Amino acid sequence: MPRTLRYALRRLLVGGAMLLGLSVLVFLLLRAAPGDPVDAYVNPSVAMSPADLTALRVRFGLDRPLPVQYLAWLAAAVTGDLGYSLQGTGDPVLPLVFSRLGPTVLLMGAGIALAIILGIAGGVAGAVRRNGAVDIGLSVIAFLGISSPAFLTALVGLYAFSVRLRIAPSGGMLTPGAPFAFGDLLAHLVLPALLLSIGHTALIMRYTRASMLEVLSADFVRTARSKGVPEFVVVARHALRNALLPVVTLIGSTIGIAIGGAVFIESVFNWPGMGLLMVTAVRARDYPVIMGAALIIGAFVIVLNLLTDLAYAVVDPRIKVG
Amino acid sequence: MLRRTLTGLALSTTLLAGACFALPAAAQDARTITGAFDVGPGGMPGNFNPLSATAGFTWLNLYFEPLVIYDAALEKIVGALASSYEVSGDQLTYTFRLAEAKWHDGKPFTAEDVRFTFDLAKNAASGSNFAARLTSVASVTATDARTVVVKLSAPNSGLLDTLTKVMMLPAHALSAMPVADLARNAWWSTTPIGTGPFRFTRYANGQFVSLAANPDYRGGAPKVDRVVNRYFENTAGAVAALRSGEIQFTYVEADDVANFKDDKAFRVIEGNSYVVNYIGFNQEVPLWKDARVRKALMYAIDRGQIIKALYGGAAVPANCGYVAPAFVPAGIDTYAYDPAKARALLADAGWAKINGDKPITLLTYYNTPLAGNVMAAVQAMLAQVGINVVPRTVDVPTYNATVYAATPDWNAFPLVYAGLQNGPDPSIINIGLNEKQLPPAGANIMRVRMPSLSAAFDTALGETDAAKRPSRYQDVCKAMNESLPWATLWVTARYGVASTKLNDFVWVPAPAGGPYEAHPEHWSITR
Repeated sequence: MPRTLRYALRRLLVGGAMLLGLSVLVFLLLRAAPGDPVDAYVNPSVAMSPADLTALRVRFGLDRPLPVQYLAWLAAAVTGDLGYSLQGTGDPVLPLVFSRLGPTVLLMGAGIALAIILGIAGGVAGAVRRNGAVDIGLSVIAFLGISSPAFLTALVGLYAFSVRLRIAPSGGMLTPGAPFAFGDLLAHLVLPALLLSIGHTALIMRYTRASMLEVLSADFVRTARSKGVPEFVVVARHALRNALLPVVTLIGSTIGIAIGGAVFIESVFNWPGMGLLMVTAVRARDYPVIMGAALIIGAFVIVLNLLTDLAYAVVDPRIKVG
Repeated sequence: MLRRTLTGLALSTTLLAGACFALPAAAQDARTITGAFDVGPGGMPGNFNPLSATAGFTWLNLYFEPLVIYDAALEKIVGALASSYEVSGDQLTYTFRLAEAKWHDGKPFTAEDVRFTFDLAKNAASGSNFAARLTSVASVTATDARTVVVKLSAPNSGLLDTLTKVMMLPAHALSAMPVADLARNAWWSTTPIGTGPFRFTRYANGQFVSLAANPDYRGGAPKVDRVVNRYFENTAGAVAALRSGEIQFTYVEADDVANFKDDKAFRVIEGNSYVVNYIGFNQEVPLWKDARVRKALMYAIDRGQIIKALYGGAAVPANCGYVAPAFVPAGIDTYAYDPAKARALLADAGWAKINGDKPITLLTYYNTPLAGNVMAAVQAMLAQVGINVVPRTVDVPTYNATVYAATPDWNAFPLVYAGLQNGPDPSIINIGLNEKQLPPAGANIMRVRMPSLSAAFDTALGETDAAKRPSRYQDVCKAMNESLPWATLWVTARYGVASTKLNDFVWVPAPAGGPYEAHPEHWSITR
């Protein structure tokens, strides 16, 4: 068995154990939080009798001891059955979560792609023109981006571009009631993706700049220059490839952070993704959906981190996985 | 060259993103009305099953219909799918004559559908929220295809109010489904059929629900082709969409109203919330046993000033559980702001010995900025007379888990700032105040045990003469005003904002979203 495959399998096995631990942790945290799905369901200004509430708890299986509830969930989960949402008409969790995964991947993918392109380009430009007007300008933008919390940029962006300028839809993924059109999807995507990318662009820009500055002063770059290699080739081929290693690590960890950012962006823009699903589920104490979503997000992050580690070997041939 | 390449890369990416801004979102056709019908306290987004709905009836009523319905003033109950109804003198027999109506699949609506719906609504196994409220229904008989007779085992003055929320369901589409699987069936969000002016066409998960006109509606074909209910995570998102012209209607918070009031593009709709806000005294806590202490709280809070300064005048002071003139007798104590009287009452009661300045938790689930300001004002006013309350704001599940706990920690909620629906049917507050409604029987969560108040409720609930009922509820009001189970504060107004492009649009901020006679078939839009 090739070494890379063995490494990947070992990591996946460890990932499986981590998911099990994650499920126990999320289960316990949910039960420790005050209020259960029935408490969330009752409108306090429309009184219901405790007897009715008890009947609802029995219907949802919330009257059983906690270990029994967890083991029942786990036994079903290993067969791919993550249960049913306790809200609305009780959609099965797995299709529900997968139906929301696509929009989140699209939003995160677009946001992170924008962040990578703009961040690396800005970082290299800043490093090449160190302390020049471009560098200082980009640094100011980067610090603003890093300092702005996602919920603030989301609200400011919504107000500026949708309410005042009216050049972007105020939310949603498609125009309700209109037939599907790719342009319509893109028009709804661009503002939340741009806003999601701001913080990550800034971070990638700063990392790339610092890493580039270090590499540009290395001996092999000086040697390349002294041999008469054109500056573009020195920077793009010799320096950038070496400088990208810490940036790749950053991009890997960015994905996990982007999920957190997506929660805010999706809530503000009503983007029907995992973030919005999780916010709604937590508010409703919808245990099966929270458990299922946490498990799938966890698996997603574990696989992406593995892919990031495997990407090291591609970026830097000195690194051997396994 | 390098700089050009980098600049080019960054510029082209920025321009590409910028170009996407120029992409127009798909336009809605000119005969579509889009609204945020499930935003606000009357909404229940994601719920499609009227049997398990505790709100959201404004939207559900666009495609489902009940037998009877409130008029748009929420003053009287009139026929909907029942073209007329009669109630026997002893209040034990209700006879409904059915309208000539068709389900959206073309099949006729019959008495059998009514009997089938009653069976489901009475059966908690179907996921029905109405089972407890329909226990007095002894039998439902279809005497012919267009007549249904409902017999009760005991008079139930709230029956018609309950029936306004029981949407009729098609027996031919649902009777083959096992009752226990009904609540979870995909039918509700994929192919439901009703008898309303619009028929269900599509639910885009978490985004919107779309309805199309029902040309065969017995009240006439709707004037628009489509009505869309767009989902929003919060009111602010809906307000942004309204301002940007993407939707034509939404519920708004009271502090948003000022932004729309003078804008000719919008019409502000104001209505009674039918929720009385109160400070509830936990009767299991010795602090509130003395009526003088409870009265002191009433005198210590300047409700007029709070209503004027914080609610902008959009509330009515409540001196009992009701503010509707029909249920408020003349001559009850108005508890006008009088901090000196409050101090004197507290001194007489020996407040220094009862509690003194020890902090008392005031638990609430109201978590808007406006509610925070109200709590701060109440805290400051009570502090002036020597009552040291500390507001504690929690989310709804935490609040419910605290006050509905099987073995409650009384000290976790010695006081609550809460609301209880008080209309349109006045009997609705009985569950929170009558001694017979102490948990687990009812939701008398503050453990009110006041015999005169319970007796007044019992008399009002047992009154079979509809003409005498308002006077009976005036007695309830009087008993509340004298015994003060709660420090009643106010009933606020609620608001919706509609584009002035909408014509004949009817929306009422009814509790639970109604339902009420909105006549959506008459709604139209000017583009």
